[in-house]
Amino acid sequence: MTVIESRSTNQLPMARSAAIAVLIVVGFFLPRLLGGTSVAYSTLTTIAIFAVMCYGVDVVLSYLGEVSLGHTLFWAVGGYTAANLSVKYGLNGWSTALATVGLCVVAAGFLGAVTLRTREFVFSLVTYAAAVVAYEIAFNWDAIGGSDGIVGISALKLPFGFATYVGGTQEELWPIAFVLLLLTLAFIARFRRSRLGTTALMVQMNPPLAASLGIDPRKVRLAVFLISAPITGLAGWLYAYQRAYVGPDMFESYFLVMMLTAVVLIGRRVLVGPLIGTAILIAQQNLLSLGGDWNKIILGSVLALVLILGPTGLVGFFRRFGKTRA
Amino acid sequence: MKKTIKVAIALLLGLTSPAMAQDIKVGTIFPLSGGAGPDGQSVTNAVKLAIEQINEKGGLLGRKITLISKDDESTPAVGVSRANEMIAEKVDVVIEGWNSPVTLAMQPILARAGVLDITAVSKSDLILAGETNPLAIRINSSNGFDAGVIAKYVVETLKAKKVAFLTQNDVYGNGFQTAVEAEFKKLNFSGQIVTTEKFAFKDTDFRVQLTSLKSANPDAIIVTNSSNSSGLPAMVEQYRQADLKSTFVGAVGIMLPTVFKVAGDANNGIISADIYFWNLPPFDAIPESKSFVAAFKKAYGVEPDKSAALGAAALQVWARAVEATKSLDRKTVAEAIRGKTIKGTVFGDAQFLPNGQLQPRYVVFKVVDGKTAKLEALE
Amino acid sequence: MNVAQQIINGLVLGSGYACIALGWTILLGVARLVNFAHGQLYMLGAFVTWYAMTRLGMPYPLAILAAIVALAILGALMQSAMMGLVMTQNLTSLMIVTLGLGYVLQGGSALIFGGNPQTIPGTLARAKVDLGSLWFTWQDVLVLAATLALYGAVWLFTQKTRFGSVIRAVAEDPKLAELFGINAKVVYLLVFVFECSAVALGAALVAPRSPILTSMGFNEVIMTFVVVVLGGIGSIGGALAAGLGLGLFIAFFGAFVAHAYTTAAAFAVLLALLVIRPAGLATK
Repeated sequence: MTVIESRSTNQLPMARSAAIAVLIVVGFFLPRLLGGTSVAYSTLTTIAIFAVMCYGVDVVLSYLGEVSLGHTLFWAVGGYTAANLSVKYGLNGWSTALATVGLCVVAAGFLGAVTLRTREFVFSLVTYAAAVVAYEIAFNWDAIGGSDGIVGISALKLPFGFATYVGGTQEELWPIAFVLLLLTLAFIARFRRSRLGTTALMVQMNPPLAASLGIDPRKVRLAVFLISAPITGLAGWLYAYQRAYVGPDMFESYFLVMMLTAVVLIGRRVLVGPLIGTAILIAQQNLLSLGGDWNKIILGSVLALVLILGPTGLVGFFRRFGKTRA
Repeated sequence: MKKTIKVAIALLLGLTSPAMAQDIKVGTIFPLSGGAGPDGQSVTNAVKLAIEQINEKGGLLGRKITLISKDDESTPAVGVSRANEMIAEKVDVVIEGWNSPVTLAMQPILARAGVLDITAVSKSDLILAGETNPLAIRINSSNGFDAGVIAKYVVETLKAKKVAFLTQNDVYGNGFQTAVEAEFKKLNFSGQIVTTEKFAFKDTDFRVQLTSLKSANPDAIIVTNSSNSSGLPAMVEQYRQADLKSTFVGAVGIMLPTVFKVAGDANNGIISADIYFWNLPPFDAIPESKSFVAAFKKAYGVEPDKSAALGAAALQVWARAVEATKSLDRKTVAEAIRGKTIKGTVFGDAQFLPNGQLQPRYVVFKVVDGKTAKLEALE
Repeated sequence: MNVAQQIINGLVLGSGYACIALGWTILLGVARLVNFAHGQLYMLGAFVTWYAMTRLGMPYPLAILAAIVALAILGALMQSAMMGLVMTQNLTSLMIVTLGLGYVLQGGSALIFGGNPQTIPGTLARAKVDLGSLWFTWQDVLVLAATLALYGAVWLFTQKTRFGSVIRAVAEDPKLAELFGINAKVVYLLVFVFECSAVALGAALVAPRSPILTSMGFNEVIMTFVVVVLGGIGSIGGALAAGLGLGLFIAFFGAFVAHAYTTAAAFAVLLALLVIRPAGLATK
């Protein structure tokens, strides 16, 4: 740390940590505070899982400046891995999670290598094409589920040596979802400040400077893409256990649009942006649903308007509003 | 004076009798928007009407039934949300299912919450496999039974020597074809299966497959296409345009009203089968069916089709079981249906297999006039 | 194996793909704008045609014109709303905006036109032509003829006219073009209006083949994607060749292998091509 860098991080570190600790505790008990019903648990678990799903896309958007339309592939890899391995071989949660991470990294490696020299819309189109191919494979390959998918996924088992945590009901799955969300948030907070994170930002914002510093943009792109995949993959992994059913519907635009909306709604590189975005979307769908057609109109309008009026998301919108008021 | 006493007694009884019981809640989850929207709407309307018919006669267990209807948008993730909402609203039963993946996703959720779940239309065999819901009940027929009817007709009545398949490439279509082939074996089919052409559910252009089928020139082509709103009508029209001479044998239940409405007289000559027709025997003699048809026509201006009948039957089967057991408990009611016979539905006596499947009664038909959907029952 | 009929089938399919892909490839080539509302615009074009014919009693040619005009106006409105993002070349946001607008179009159309399938009557889709054992409809001929004419006209326009070279200049380097006094805004507006008009024409000609539903969307035009990328983004001749080629590929792959896997095969070929020659596809 040099004199040029901000010293604000040194001020009140205790207060900040305390605040975060309080938030974590409140967050953990949120379902109980909201009534403790199974619906409260299932809604919040769903929000947590979908938020983690969105963070994968967020990493790519915030640090590479690209829109990945293929992250449903990793989401599906997670779901299908958990489903197939637990139903066919009875593997426990740790094994399926590890397999998910492994397969996602391999898939991301392949897809990342293919898109290494592509930019912007070509990158998006290629990731989209990859998702389409993966969907067709999943739909037609009966051995991994076929068009009807895999049913009867048993409860999540996480052995800890002395005891096994079983996640069968929504109440039992909530702590796992919450921990996954926290780990993701912590990871991204660290990633921001890591060498790779700052390098990626530099490559995105000032390519000549990065080049002059001898940074290979392709290595950075691949690394960031490789990191983003298992995040969405693990969300899919947990989703399989929550829903007890996995099918080619994992590739549907429902999830893709949620990923994109949650990520752009609040703004880029806002740590809790995707989480808040996801919560808003799920809340609207469950509590303020006006029917399938009106929901589409609302969702589409919000998406278009937020980006047209404030391309940096609602945060940017408020910042600008705040500035003009000052 | 007499009147005052009567009023006083009524008031007294009202005060001393137990607090007016809450309504019984029936939930429906079907697609109400999107490609299957009109179909899901029709089924929901049928359930609504069946409920009204019961309420007019005094309700169920002396209580009124209210309907809560939700849209699953043909998306499993949305269906799961709706199922959770139904649980929160403490419904006593959920009647659901047009698309199999949505049903499969909702089943474990409802089962875990102890809410009785009756599948009206979805056809997947996994629904009754017991893994997602050990107390599953399904009204629509299954591929296994359907295959028997079609195979029997093709082998014994049509006496086809060369048969081809035009199959929708998913578990439903492939499953039906496999089942038909198995039935062929059982019937010692002496002919041959000359070719199989497949297509995706969303396809609307079938020239390539029809050209190949024409070259193979089979006596009959067994067609499995559940896209009643776009793919199937287009296929029927292209079938006629390609001038195929082979008999078009449709899988059970695919010839829904939209197919007739859109493809009109291109449908003439199609052979198929289904499990309900408001105007064909034996259904035109069943009193519940007759009264339901009249009420449906009055309320919605059109006679009910098979899908509407499935919705109504689902509700009626459940209501009769509740009446018989005097209970709304999931296990009690389910066990009063599975493996039992329920009288007084639009299907007449509804016989259920132990796994929850309603045993269908088939009518094999030939399309006489596609424009007016005039059918001729065969056999 | 009726090869001749399959060739006809392939050309019929292919001319449909090419017709619908033209607007998309030009928009992509000139403005680098991925229009994810393309499928919903196709659906809307079909429904405006249907509405004009069944509710307003217009004859088919007039209904086609009505669809083109209606979508052109809609396109102008959409592009005006997006203009800020287009000028700053905020491509990622633009993509998502078109996705959002597509959703609005889908929900709105479902509310206005309803969810029931409709057929477009009074076209040539039922007028069959029999040449020996071969068959096709006059509508197929119309689509092929219109597609070739449209491609020819657009190619001539961009290559031979002054405005065409203006558009090519903006596609090449918008900032440099502005230095030369070209108003990029107007160019972008016109190109987007063209895309909407072209897809409306494509819808009016191709949609009568099968029932139309307001739930039609990107899936219905997903082959457009393959055509555009295979043919080279922005390349007019390429889109035509890729469209017809893809149609023939699907006809023969379907006849010899399995029709149900054609989407997978087409996309797999696309991915393979992108792996081997990714540089050939980016315009920058």
